[in-house]
Amino acid sequence: MKDSNTDGLGVQSRRTFFKSVGTVAVTAATAGAQSVAAELEKANAEKIIGPGAVPVTLEVNGAPLRLQLEPRVTLLDALRNYSSLTGAKDGCDRASCGACTVLLDNVPVYSCQKLAIEAQGHAITTVEGLAKNGELSGLQKAFVEKDASMCGYCTPGFLMSLTALFKKNPHPTADEIRHACAGNICRCGTQPHIMQAALQTAGATGAGSTTEVIHA
Amino acid sequence: MKAFQYTTALSTDSARQLAAGNGAYLAGGNDLLGRLKEYLDSPEILVNIKSIPGLDGITAGAGAWTIGALVTVAQIENHPKIRAVFPGLQQAAAEVGSPQIRNVATIGGNLAQHSRCWYYRHRDTVCLKKGGDLCYARHGENRYHCLFTGNTCISPVASNLAIALTALDATVIVLREGKETRMTMPELYQKAWDNPTAHNSLNPGDLILRVEIPVARTRSAFLQVSDKHAFDWALVSCAAAARVHGGKLSRPRVALGCISPMPHQSAAANDFLEGKPLDESTVAQAADLVLQGAQPLAFNGYKVPLARTLIRRALLSLKG
Amino acid sequence: MPSWPAETKYISHSTLRIDAPAKVSGRARYSSDIQAGGWLYGMILRSKWPAARIAKINLENALKIPGIKAALTVKEGESTVRFYGEELAAVAGTTKQACLDALRAIEIEAKALPFVVKENDARSEDAPRVWPNSANASEGKPKEQGTVDQAFSECAAVIEGFYTTPVQLHHPMETHGCTVSWTDEGVTAWASTQGISSVRDGLAGGLQLEQSQVRVITEYMGGGFGSKFGAGVEGLMAARLSRAAKAPVRLMLTRFDQALAVGNRPSSFQKIKLGAKADGTLHAFELDNYGTAGIGGGGSTEGGGGGIAIPAPYIYKVPNFRVKHTSVAVNAGSARAFRAPANPPASFGMESAMDDLAVKLGMDPVELRLKNDPSAVRRREYSLGAERFGWKQKYQKPGSSAGPVKIGVGCAGATWWGGGNKRTQGEAEIHPDGGIEIRLGVQDLGTGTRTVIAVVAAEILGLKPEQITVRIGDTHYPPGPGSGGSTTCASVSPAVFDVCTQALQQLQTQTGVPDARGGNWPAACKKLGTSPLVVHGQWQEGLSSGGAGGVQFAEASVDTETGLVTVNRILCVQDCGLIVNQITLESQVNGGIIMGLGYALYEERVMDHLSGVVLNPNFETYKLPGLADIPQIDIVLLNMPERGVIGVGEPVTIPTAAAIGNAVANALGVRVSSLPITPAKVLAALGKVPPPTARPA
Repeated sequence: MKDSNTDGLGVQSRRTFFKSVGTVAVTAATAGAQSVAAELEKANAEKIIGPGAVPVTLEVNGAPLRLQLEPRVTLLDALRNYSSLTGAKDGCDRASCGACTVLLDNVPVYSCQKLAIEAQGHAITTVEGLAKNGELSGLQKAFVEKDASMCGYCTPGFLMSLTALFKKNPHPTADEIRHACAGNICRCGTQPHIMQAALQTAGATGAGSTTEVIHA
Repeated sequence: MKAFQYTTALSTDSARQLAAGNGAYLAGGNDLLGRLKEYLDSPEILVNIKSIPGLDGITAGAGAWTIGALVTVAQIENHPKIRAVFPGLQQAAAEVGSPQIRNVATIGGNLAQHSRCWYYRHRDTVCLKKGGDLCYARHGENRYHCLFTGNTCISPVASNLAIALTALDATVIVLREGKETRMTMPELYQKAWDNPTAHNSLNPGDLILRVEIPVARTRSAFLQVSDKHAFDWALVSCAAAARVHGGKLSRPRVALGCISPMPHQSAAANDFLEGKPLDESTVAQAADLVLQGAQPLAFNGYKVPLARTLIRRALLSLKG
Repeated sequence: MPSWPAETKYISHSTLRIDAPAKVSGRARYSSDIQAGGWLYGMILRSKWPAARIAKINLENALKIPGIKAALTVKEGESTVRFYGEELAAVAGTTKQACLDALRAIEIEAKALPFVVKENDARSEDAPRVWPNSANASEGKPKEQGTVDQAFSECAAVIEGFYTTPVQLHHPMETHGCTVSWTDEGVTAWASTQGISSVRDGLAGGLQLEQSQVRVITEYMGGGFGSKFGAGVEGLMAARLSRAAKAPVRLMLTRFDQALAVGNRPSSFQKIKLGAKADGTLHAFELDNYGTAGIGGGGSTEGGGGGIAIPAPYIYKVPNFRVKHTSVAVNAGSARAFRAPANPPASFGMESAMDDLAVKLGMDPVELRLKNDPSAVRRREYSLGAERFGWKQKYQKPGSSAGPVKIGVGCAGATWWGGGNKRTQGEAEIHPDGGIEIRLGVQDLGTGTRTVIAVVAAEILGLKPEQITVRIGDTHYPPGPGSGGSTTCASVSPAVFDVCTQALQQLQTQTGVPDARGGNWPAACKKLGTSPLVVHGQWQEGLSSGGAGGVQFAEASVDTETGLVTVNRILCVQDCGLIVNQITLESQVNGGIIMGLGYALYEERVMDHLSGVVLNPNFETYKLPGLADIPQIDIVLLNMPERGVIGVGEPVTIPTAAAIGNAVANALGVRVSSLPITPAKVLAALGKVPPPTARPA
């Protein structure tokens, strides 16, 4: 996989460079992903790329991922099969289960229904990006404490949907939690514990277990 | 998905040119990419239209609001003023898919989306809508299908925004061969009523630019019932809109979804409701008129009582 | 006879799932995440014909697709396919896209054959035959006891009903599949499986290798629910592709595939007649049941346990009964064991009939059960549960609640066997620095097996669970049980007990330290010098047993104007034997109930009779409960240490749909006797649905 290295070029010369080379790649700085997106669109607009592989740079958890991908490769495919970021899972590949949920600029999307080339210029956050300096986020810790994972395959998706919710609203109600998680499916049955973990993170009541044990 | 080329259009003109031949416009991609994955369509080039300026605004005008085609369903759901001015539209938006879908789905794409009939969507059934010669649903699994149809295809319109916008008497502005064309909601779907292979009245190359919604109907509502409580296609949906003066309806509109290739309205029902008080008797009679001529199939008869209930509840909720 | 300690620090308490941090951080690597060096993507081509004679499969053009390194047919020469989705060929390539293109380039010469996909169509004499020399309908030998017809005439009340359950799909969140590397050294497979040994044996047998040449690794897997035993066609093809391409091949099924070819729960169409004496004593029972297990019963497929027969009269002892089962073959994927095989449909039919009978007798449904349930444990659970649930206050005459949204309550009971697998072995490696690894060839499906091992070891050794390094999921470790039948916990707990008991004895022998537990542990280990101690152990009698009961109560609200069912609350009273780890057990209970909720209200595999395809091979129209559908779930666990460890993964999913069905019937005053209970069926039961209008074709 070749890098298309445009480090060190100024804004003006980047534009010229793109026009001549016909690439959609850009080094996405961690700050200013939006302005890069705008630049990128302008620079590459109306240039036809593909169907063969083209250079694609994705900013994932603050770091650039430089790949060679066909336009039809989804963001999920790019993460799972072209990098070691297998946290986002493939549950259905049809935007109906949520296991592939990632954040694009803090907004949850199905990465299976997003072309990787269109995810450029956005800050992509995956489950691997939630812990800071090796410490799990409050929500991740709550998931551990409330046993909100069983097989764990749906867990990254739920974490991303809820992380986005808590970024917007640190104290959601139970209904708002349900609404935020409507696009995530779990087959093992962790939903009650996910609800407890989310309510705990929200500082709300109802986060405790009601299980009664009778010693026979 | 088959391999395709990709490009970003910067204007509506270039979008049309770039997509001419065997191209498709790519906005949110929920519908298009889903179809590509099942090989229902295989465009050679995807034209990203999300960078075309002027299509993503929400503007409040004196007589009408304008919503650009690229405005996302999430933006409509969360807009602080839309829920006050067009509550029915906001309610419909909140029910579209899931949060992840709403975050990328555009109003234009939502209106233009293809049928969700499970025969249409199946990679291995070449049904009428796909150019085959059989409508499998007619004598097959038709629990989700139409009570009304003008032709032999019985797959219903999938967009619930369309239902809410029908009740609000919205107009869709479409760019067709370089010229802006205005379509009422019925006009936008008329072709699906007439022609089994059509999902709407858009021609190849047509681009939805914006939706104009008159503010005349100060009350509006949207309801749907699905098998599940969330993230599930509606079994039946209903939108109602009107002005309400002293408990009486003015400019009333009722539209049903999921039961016809078009948003279903009855002129007789709308006329009947004009000037009537909002009470049980009125809404019951209106429901009869809306559902007149319904032709239940083997497995979708339940939509009749369900529609009746939703009409009643949507209308009565306009009381405020 | 060994026995569990009476006072425990960890057993019966709650230790957090030890692999939770790996799961929440994205570090956990599932079979679908494995990226062995030089790996290729694998994909299977499936039949689009529900029945066909395949004359020729031409792979030529597939092999020309750039990036494709191997392409193989599943069978040699001509073959017959008997269901939509049957495997025909497979390819391996450097990208998913190459494989997609390659599949489309494969040319098949096939002659379509007649087919039948609906049970009621298949039963008729002139239906196309699924198998050439047998009728589609195959009647089992009826079981009879007493004098049934006479007994019915002696009954004070008799009810008849027709209760049906659909084909249900397992749909684990991680699909079936594996990454396989087949080199001259042998085969290594990272499989998404419930039985690493079953995959090992399946690969060895299918590839004609020695079992010792095959290694299976499952560190994490995304659920199975009974469908993931054996190598599967996907495992064998991945291995063959790997050999042909000389590279590891990751072949995971798509969600579409999951609906076609990797198992399902058979349907049931139960004609039940049930009669009782005036005092409610059950006196006569008759069941005539048919259902489909697809092209064949689960006996001939991976894991067994997929037949259509259901236990009847389920948990009740009725002196006079007659039970008949008819298996109906259709051109659809074969059934496989699915969480408590045969029991949820059995419970649904029997417990619906019980409630219908209670109504006819004018008797409280809980009273009817207390009168007839032969299990003392379950009777206790009914009494306890009724009190916790507020049954006496909530139970009203059917259909009597006011308003358009009617509320009703229902209950149902379960039984399951389970028990421990006596062949379960384990080993411990104790390091001089005090570290201890427990190694067991078992897998954790999300049930908490890893944590159970750590908890038991910690308890016996007087250590903390976090001091135990648990290594599972490798056939190089001592053989463990397949994770099925609710036997895993009852298998590994005694084995780990023995491993740790042996470890303490050996530590004493080798180091002279009389009791190496707890605070003495580091010093004792240090005395090992330079040689770690490896101790082997085995399942022991006396620490586990089988036979769980369990009852559930449900409250549901039904909107009689829309038909929508909302389950408000489920209360589960479950006997557990010795609770090993409470918090993970609670998750299992939640999981079983939610699966039962899906069965009750949303799930149904739909076949199209004209085309023979599965119409809902996705999550859009095969519906699973979401967060918004989940009711309040209250759990009462009966900790019964004297019974030893008993697995409860399956009993907890058995009575849920029956309880919900009974709650809906109680709410409406009329029964929807067919699962799933959709708004359409509720409105029909209420007589609100107009008949179809006659239309031109």
